Amino acid sequence: METDLLIIGGGPAGLSAAYEPARHGLKVTIVDESLRLGGQLNQQSQVLDLPSGFAKQTGMKLSQFLQDRLLNYDVDLLTKCTMIGTYKDGRIGVTDGNTTFSIRSQKTIITTGAAEDSISFPGWTLPGVMTIGAAQILLNREKVLPGKKAIVLGTNNLAFEITKQLNESGVEVIAIIEKESTVDVDADNIAYLKQANIPIYVNTSITRARGPGEVEKVLIDNNGTEVAFDVDLVCIAGGLFPILEPFQVLGCELIYLSELGGWLPKYDTNFETSIPNTYVAGNAAGITAMKAIMLTGDLVGISILDSLENYNSDYVKKRKDSLWTELAKAEQPEVWSARLSLIKEFELERKYVTSNR
Amino acid sequence: MQITENIVTFSFNGKSFQAIEGQTIAAALFANGVKKLGVSRKLQQPRGLFCSNGRCASCFVSGNGMDHVLSCMSLIENGMIIQSNESDPDIRRKIDGD
Repeated sequence: METDLLIIGGGPAGLSAAYEPARHGLKVTIVDESLRLGGQLNQQSQVLDLPSGFAKQTGMKLSQFLQDRLLNYDVDLLTKCTMIGTYKDGRIGVTDGNTTFSIRSQKTIITTGAAEDSISFPGWTLPGVMTIGAAQILLNREKVLPGKKAIVLGTNNLAFEITKQLNESGVEVIAIIEKESTVDVDADNIAYLKQANIPIYVNTSITRARGPGEVEKVLIDNNGTEVAFDVDLVCIAGGLFPILEPFQVLGCELIYLSELGGWLPKYDTNFETSIPNTYVAGNAAGITAMKAIMLTGDLVGISILDSLENYNSDYVKKRKDSLWTELAKAEQPEVWSARLSLIKEFELERKYVTSNR
Repeated sequence: MQITENIVTFSFNGKSFQAIEGQTIAAALFANGVKKLGVSRKLQQPRGLFCSNGRCASCFVSGNGMDHVLSCMSLIENGMIIQSNESDPDIRRKIDGD
């Protein structure tokens, strides 16, 4: 199979990255291992803050919009297809579970997004213990209540948002457990929990989850006092980290930056990795907000047009500038500065390597 | 994206259940109160849906005779025969005549 632009991962970043190249006549192929495109948008019933030109809307609605706007262009959508390797000549190996085939592309964008980190404790593998993202998938995408009585382990804005959705769907959230002494989430999220009578236990950890075949009881250590809760759902909110397998398979250079979620590929101002013609965008390029996920997708799409002679127009330059300006405003200051220093260091490093060749 | 309201019938370990067409196998089982989908390979401890994104490999089942199907990444089908994952998969080898 041949294509101009291959995109690995059809979530918000990949679908955004596809748009400008597709609109300018490039043949785009999107590979995604899930049953549907849209990635994590497909269970996000929360209203998202999005790039200029987009009305505020739920992730579920946005997923459909981003897919629909590609319909008129030469875009191949390969769902239930997983990248499993590369060939010596640069082709990408893909399988649908039955057959394996190769895709040759001029440019490749890897938008694998993020995975949820876990927090382990004795009994964490019991059925009924799951990531908070899994609970949201059951609730919003699969229309199944993940439990009746829940406890949430870990605090972050996404976890609080999902806790709110669980509470409003009739899941009784008994407590939120945080091992640190403070909780770093937005004030309106804290206010919601207060009003909903959901207590946050700080300096607290789960000592054990118990049950015959599935979780029935959770023991917590609250400042040295053991408390037992009867629950049938434990949601682990351990935060997000970039998904790296395709970068590792391709041999992209990686770097560890805690502000961006841990290990991630190095990239330059065009979001090109250390492997030529291989790009990154979205959460795979550093964990950030939805608005920034889409903006990095737009940026990489525009960068690809820019790298092709025929498209080196005023439009491309202007669009690039405005996207960077918007991205600077969209990101948390520590995320933005970590991203900038990553780009700067990688470009310096590459200059040095080139000049010493 | 849209889950249609067509009902499908399937079985899990010989027991018959119903689900909504468009649901994953894991969700179809969860909706019927089945959370334990199999056991771990070494200590035989219960396992179920954990990440729901096809990464953690905790939700394996056998579907229509195929071992180690990721139940969170596969859709339920009418008439599907699901079995819990109780051991390592059978490897199909030439030496066994497969």
